Order: sequence, then C-alpha cells, then structure tokens
Amino acid sequence: MAIETEARWVPIAVSCDILDGTVIPARLPTGPIAVWRSASGSLYANGDRCPHRGMRLSQGFVRGETLSCIYHGWRFGADGACQKIPAHPKVSPPKTINCGPLPVTEANGVVWGAATSPVDAPDQFVGHDALRSLVVAASTDAIASACEGEWVGEAIAVTLGGQNTILLLNPYGPAEVLVIALVPRGLTAPDLVRVSTALEALRRSAEAVGEAA
Amino acid sequence: MILYDYILSPSCYKLRLLASLLDVPLELRAVDFHPGREHKGAALLALNPAGCLPILVDGDLVLTESAAILAYLAAQSGPNWLADGDPQAIALQQQWLSFSHRLAEALGGARLVEMLHFDGDLEALQSDGIAALRELEAALFTRRIAGGTFLVGDMPSIADIACFPYVALAPDGSISLDPYPSIRLWMRALRSLPGFIEMPGIHRLHELAPDPFAKDLS
Amino acid sequence: MTPDSVRNAWYPVGLLSDLNPDGKESLLLGETITIFGSDMGEPRVECGGRGLPVVPRFGHLWTSLGAPDKDLFTIPEADHPDRTLVDVGVVRVKCSPLRAVENFLDIAHFPFVHTDILGAESHPEVSDYQVKIRDDVDEVWATKVEFYQPQAAKSAGGGIMTEYMYRVPTPTCSILYKTCPPRPGEWDVIALFVQPLTEDLCDVWPWMALFDDESAMTDLIHFQQLIFLQDRSILESQIPKRLPLDPAMETPTRADLTSVAYRRWLKRQNYTYGAQLVAG
Ligand SMILES: N[C@@H](CCC(=O)N[C@@H](CS)C(=O)NCC(=O)O)C(=O)O
Ligand code: FES
Ligand SMILES: [Fe+2]
Repeated sequence: MAIETEARWVPIAVSCDILDGTVIPARLPTGPIAVWRSASGSLYANGDRCPHRGMRLSQGFVRGETLSCIYHGWRFGADGACQKIPAHPKVSPPKTINCGPLPVTEANGVVWGAATSPVDAPDQFVGHDALRSLVVAASTDAIASACEGEWVGEAIAVTLGGQNTILLLNPYGPAEVLVIALVPRGLTAPDLVRVSTALEALRRSAEAVGEAA
Repeated sequence: MILYDYILSPSCYKLRLLASLLDVPLELRAVDFHPGREHKGAALLALNPAGCLPILVDGDLVLTESAAILAYLAAQSGPNWLADGDPQAIALQQQWLSFSHRLAEALGGARLVEMLHFDGDLEALQSDGIAALRELEAALFTRRIAGGTFLVGDMPSIADIACFPYVALAPDGSISLDPYPSIRLWMRALRSLPGFIEMPGIHRLHELAPDPFAKDLS
Repeated sequence: MTPDSVRNAWYPVGLLSDLNPDGKESLLLGETITIFGSDMGEPRVECGGRGLPVVPRFGHLWTSLGAPDKDLFTIPEADHPDRTLVDVGVVRVKCSPLRAVENFLDIAHFPFVHTDILGAESHPEVSDYQVKIRDDVDEVWATKVEFYQPQAAKSAGGGIMTEYMYRVPTPTCSILYKTCPPRPGEWDVIALFVQPLTEDLCDVWPWMALFDDESAMTDLIHFQQLIFLQDRSILESQIPKRLPLDPAMETPTRADLTSVAYRRWLKRQNYTYGAQLVAG
C-alpha cells in the first residue's frame, strides 16, 4: 500500500555531507527532495520543486533559517511556508504558498527522510557511524551478490576492508541504488580509507554483475 | 599579459579565476570561438597552430596550455598555489594537472556536443566523464578523512583550479553532480575563496553576500 | 496529432551566414529536416523529400512544416541603418521551447541569475507594468516594464533604471526592446528565436540589433552568450519539463503577468507543443 511505503524512513544522505547553511539534492521513492541545514544547524527537507516556476530548490541557497530558490529568490522557512518574494518585497506572501516540508531525522550519522511521518524511529546500528555514500548503477540484488553479504532487514552486512560494514540501500530505480556505508565507530584514518577503497571495488563488481545479467 | 579568451570556455575561465584569486590584471581579448570559429582563423593559428584557446601572450612568451599558464601565473604572483619542495606534493600536483586534461576531454567534450553542436560520441564522453568524477570523488573523500579540503596539501593549489571548471560545468553535458557529496563540498570551498569569480553556468554563492532581508526575516 | 497552430508557425533553423550547400540535418517538431545553403540562389529546407517554405530574415533562415497563414513577423525598429546586427549563434537547451521563451519574458530572475549585470539583489522589486494580448496583431505585449540594472548592456557605464517592452509575435520567439544607453530615446532590440527540436529540446538563436559604435562585435556576442548561458542551467532544471498551461500547477505573482498572458495566449490558439495541459 502506498501509505505504508511512504510512512517509512529511507536513508538519503550522510549527515556530515550537509554543512550548516547548505542544501543538497536527495531522493525518496516518491521523488527528488531538497535537504538543508539552516545556519543554526537545524535540518529540513522538502520537495525539490519550487512552487513558483518549478525550479529545483536543491540548487538554491540557505541564508539564516530560510532556503532560497536560485531562480527568483523566493524564501521558504522551516514549515515550508514562503516568507519572502523579492519581486514584491513589501507584500507578505499568501500563507498558501508552501514548498512541502517532509519529515527528516538523523541517526548513526545518516540522514533519513520520509514522505509522510513514520511512527517509529529509523533502524539503529549500535556502535556504527556513516562513512560515505555512493551511487551504484546496479540493482540491490547485484550489490548483495557482488559482496556476498548477508541481508539484515533491508540492509546488507558485509566485511569490507577488514571491517564489519553495514550497507544501507536506497534504490533510485531498478538499476541505480544509493548506498550508505556504516562502519564501527573509532576506526583509524587508514582503516577508513581501506573501507572506502573496498566500496569502490564493490561498486565495480556489482556493476559488472549487473551488466553480465 | 594578454589572454585570448572565450567567455564560455572552462579552460579560459580557470585562468581568469586564478588571476582574480591572485589579484593579477589580465588584458582580455575576446575571441569569437562560437559561432565565428575565430580560433581556427589565420591570425590565431599563427599564435597557436593547434587552433584552440586559451592563449596567453606576455611579451615574447606565448603559452597555449592552460596548466602551463596556471603555473606561470602562480609562480609569478602566488607561489603558495604551487607545490614546491615536497616530492609527493609535486608529483600529486602534476597528476591532477594531467587528470584535468581527462576532465576537459570527457566532461568538456560532452558539454560542447550537448550545448554548441560539436561533433562527438556523446555516450562515450559521458561515461568517461562519470568514471573521472568517481575517481575525483573517491580522492576527495580520502582527503576529507585526513582533514583536508583540497586536492594537494592544506591549501588550494593550481591543481584544484585546473580541475574545477569542467567538474562544475558537468551538468551542461547532461552529467549530474548529484551523486558526489565530496565534490560538492570541494566546489563549495573553492567558490568561497576571496576573489572567486563566476562564469556562465557556475554561479556565485549568494549566501556569502549580506542578506538584504535580514531585518524582515529575523 | 500536432495542432495546425504548431505546424503552421514559422521557426528559425539556422544562421544565413553559416548554411552548408551540402545540407545539414536538424530536427523541427520531432521531424528530420535538411537545410541547404547555396552559393548563388535561394537556401532550401527539405523534410521527407518535400520542400518547405523558407524566408531569410534577421540573419536567420526560417521555415514551417505546414502552410503558414501569416507572413513571418517583422521588426521595423531593427531596420535603422545605424544599428549593429549581431548573430549570437546557436545554443542547445534541454528544455521546452516554451519555457525558454517564458524565461526571456521574465525580469524577476535578474537579481539572482544575472547578478550584478541585469539585476542586483539590493533592487529586486518589479513594479506594476502593462500587459495585453493585442487582438489586432495577435501578439502578446508587455510595456512600461522598469527595472534597476547594474550593467544593462555591454556599453553601459554604470547602474541605471532600464525600461523594457516585450513582444511575443509567434509562440517560440520573443523580442525585447530596452533602454539604449548611448542613444536616449531609442530602443535596443534583443530577440530570442527558438527552434523546437522536440517538446523538451530546443535550439536557441539569440539575435540583436543594437546602437553601439564602441563595442567590438565579439564583445557584443560574448555579452549575450554570457547572459543566455546563465539562464541555461535554470531552464534545464525546471520541473515539469513542459510548460504547464494549467494555472494551478505553478504560482504566478504580479511580476509574472507577461507569463500569465503568454500561457493564456498559447492555450487560446491551441499551441500545445512543449506544453503540459493538465497537472500530473
Ligand atoms: N540571449 C538571450 C538570452 C535571454 C536574455 O538575455 N533575456 C533576458 C534575460 S533572460 C534579457 O532581458 N536580456 C536583456 C539584455 O541582455 O540586456 C537574449 O538575447 O537576451
Ligand atoms: S522558481 Fe523558485 S523563485 Fe521562481
Ligand atoms: Fe535570464
């Protein structure tokens, strides 16, 4: 049912990839979204489409506690409401103009988003933190078989670069998946680099598996 | 110093950019690259028989490779933009300068096909471009683990400037930058440098300027 | 089926100065056409072995897939002998041809997209202006459009209040008339001629007729390419790709009255190529 899939947390980004005062593009199964952190550090998400003329809001910019569209500079606040239309600076924008705020939360250094508010918190991975994300041009099955990992719910547990790694998956399409790798907390820099390198290798083999299929 | 320049060329832009970051004046000569193909005309072929831009003329010296021109500008006016002394840094800088040619061919090539009607195998250019972006993303992620932001050492260098324009303009050739968070942070760091200038397709960070509505929206 | 209003319209397909006698393939409304230049006689355009009507005008070759019921529009102001005519060259854009025209009619984006050239963030206000669909000529016109511009033209020395008039003579072309810094009382003419390749891909041919004795031709070309390429990345990112003609799909304000009239005019003549009629 649509409601069930929408009220579910989906891993969409790595927390430290979104600095204070920046916006990034991300995706939910329902479509593209813009995820942004205000100057004070609060995290928000909304549809990646400006209500004015359809520009992608993820190409906009963050000033203070608002997200600005790059096209005509309309500014949206935490509740998605339009707070300012620069072409009409003296007019208060109608309350109905809204860019569609979406639920977003952070855990284990991962940003999770949902189309409608889930009842529960996202899955917890005790002692693990996000390392990095990468997009793999293959199916989730191709990824699982390429790394010979084990499914743990919707994630894959696998040893990469000698570390117990958890791969969170956000399928963008049948042959395109956002993978977020979680590694045990407290690894050294060389350990982290080894996992990152192993992830690149995993992507190569998953994509080769996909091509062979 | 005279730069034979085309406003839409990433290879010319990187020289305007470094000159601006170093506060070095450049005398620009606009070349009608498109639609006029002036770079293939007799006058410019006499300067650069390869028939391409940029060309930098400084007295008797004529330079026609953007990486060499970056090195020349930096050596004259910004030696801290050049790796120097440390063998590893020198080698890495050379490696990224060579890498920038791959970016120019693949990402720059896809852009010329998609935007200005140039001939080329678009799919091959795009797939080479994506391969190069993935390499860059992995390298920049490794730099982040070590606490670094830029390609070589602690400071921005000509290696960053050599690669930046093709990467930032990749979407012009229908190559999305959405999947590369470390590239996004690196580009942001470069666009935040004092003296940064934009080119069409690479806009400035508006948020760095004072908020005209700060009073209304607080 | 492509509506008659779409097939019968005139479209630009190339620069007269750059036609190839051996023929060059292109697309028009999704159909393959071949454009032939000629050293002596007339240029020709063919589609599936059939000759199409052609008109050379404004430095470009124009054609139509149907039987145009109107002559190609004219720009009388551009005939003044003192004007410099500038062929800016083609730029391909992955967007609806109608989105490209609508962007050209919009001034509210200047402070954010053409920052410190055609607009400044400190002066974003769009005052009221006048828009009408002129039934006598079947064109959209906007007049008394005023905007503060830091560098209104290559020849501009500093910031000025610029006055614009906008004119849409045919669905995929738009002309603007703007204050001409070196000649008070005259208008510079800047046009955007759009060739619809498909519903979401177009070749854009900007063209200008300016009073400017100072600037070199290449500088004028670069200035316009600079401006237009700032728009391109926006145009390629708008969602949906096709221009929504349903007013509920997007949110216009008073600053967008030209765009509102343009969409209404398109709908009225059933010009649906590159448009989206219902939400979804
Ligand atoms: N190349 C087009 C690009 C579109 C454009 O420049 N349109 C708007 C900006 S979207 C304009 O008002 N231009 C005025 C100017 O260039 O002075 C043109 O010829 O103007
Ligand atoms: S499209 Fe976002 S402000 Fe106009
Ligand atoms: Fe514009």
